[in-house]
Amino acid sequence: MGDILEFFEQMGFMNMTWQQGLMLIISFFLLYLAIKKQYEPLLLLPIAFGMLLTNLPGAGMYHSELWTAFLDANSPAYHSYGAIMREGGLLDILYIGVKAGVYPCLIFMGVGAMTDFGPLIANPKSLLLGAAAQLGIFLTFLAANAMGFTEAQAGSIGIIGGADGPTSIFLTSKLAPELLGPIAIAAYSYMALVPVIQPPIMRALTTKKERAIKMSQLRPVSKTEKIIFPIAITTIVALMLPDAAPLIGCLMLGNLAKECGVVDRLSKTMQNELMNIVVIFLGLTVGATATAGSFLNVRTLMILAMGIVAFGCGTAGGVLLAKLMNVFSKEKINPLIGSAGVSAVPMAARVSQQVGQEENPSNFLLMHAMGPNVAGVIGSAVAAGILLTMLG
Amino acid sequence: MMTPLAINWSHVWMVTGLGFCMVITLLVVLIFILKLLGTVISNAVKAPKAALPKDVAQATAAQAAPAAAQASADDDLAAIAMALHLYFNGVHDVEPTEIHIKRVERSGWNSKLYGMNNLHR
Repeated sequence: MGDILEFFEQMGFMNMTWQQGLMLIISFFLLYLAIKKQYEPLLLLPIAFGMLLTNLPGAGMYHSELWTAFLDANSPAYHSYGAIMREGGLLDILYIGVKAGVYPCLIFMGVGAMTDFGPLIANPKSLLLGAAAQLGIFLTFLAANAMGFTEAQAGSIGIIGGADGPTSIFLTSKLAPELLGPIAIAAYSYMALVPVIQPPIMRALTTKKERAIKMSQLRPVSKTEKIIFPIAITTIVALMLPDAAPLIGCLMLGNLAKECGVVDRLSKTMQNELMNIVVIFLGLTVGATATAGSFLNVRTLMILAMGIVAFGCGTAGGVLLAKLMNVFSKEKINPLIGSAGVSAVPMAARVSQQVGQEENPSNFLLMHAMGPNVAGVIGSAVAAGILLTMLG
Repeated sequence: MMTPLAINWSHVWMVTGLGFCMVITLLVVLIFILKLLGTVISNAVKAPKAALPKDVAQATAAQAAPAAAQASADDDLAAIAMALHLYFNGVHDVEPTEIHIKRVERSGWNSKLYGMNNLHR
């Protein structure tokens, strides 16, 4: 009888707190969004499942207290990966890749191998739109400071406005690792909600006439240009901003492998196997950081609220700069492509295309919007490098 | 979280202003480099034509390159338009998925047996 009682006492049901129960319900909801609604399922599904695993009482797959000790200078386990390997669970061990900033860089390698920078090379002015869309990052940094977050935490919250998951995780793991769970979930949730968040802002800031502007066809880009581009960008950005080198370097390595045409096997591996494996590890472990203790508090709600402000400001920044460029330039730009400057490749470019076609069904903005869209990836990595240099 | 009184606002404003300006500056530098790259490479591509007399090379480049690019673009657009038309209007033949036993119609034209058995003697 005693054994039976002991067995029942060890069951997760008996040890579950209401906060853990609520987190399980949130994870079920996220799984529903990933599977049924297909909101960024490749990432949301592992994140939600990681959240499920970490909140199962007694499973012991992730130990937030180990990572607190890892960051505590007075603890014997301070910066000791050995302690993590010795005492941690499966997700603790996988989380080392996030902590060391490895996974976001590997994902960037895959992103680079899948991205065509042709539209950006054909129209380099797109880079300006990609830069303007980073406005949201810095305005949110300001707002987060005003709300009482530390500067490092504010920088990590601001980077949500870059609409770039790997960059957000990379910067947060360096500046404010205690906020990694809420920031990663906010970043990926809002990226999935780009088609909902952006169109009202785009319509509010543009006139019907502006939305109907047709842009001339982009010039063809030679293979030589496509090969030199990643080498040149890596060299220049890394020399000007060494802290951005890991992200930009991996992004451009992936792109060079794709464009040079002599390492197809490596390029395919980066695009498929490597990318998929890292996405699984990253999603699971980021989800695992969303424990009841770290997630269910007012601070998380504030981060979620500021994330949407960051997204909105970034969208507005891109659209407004495109309008300003129209004042000075002879060849008109459709301001709707400015909103694509907030990374979120290729979702933001698709939104520009859709909103443009609502006004003029014969207008095809997709390729024009891909320029600012990939410029946004470079812009957000540069912004992350700058924040890391100034706040790290 | 820090208390609002502990915020070093001058540093916060400096990071905000300087950070955003640095993003813009760095990307503007990249714009110039990309433009330079485009110019250098397009000149390098045109360089072999320098062997021709100057006026002939200029005339050829002025006429042939845009014309070739336009023709190529037009061909691409025509192919895409045709594919979309065929797809959306269901112009492709629909192959029946049923298998039939072919009934051979025999006549004096295609069947030796028929012809032999029905000889009019």
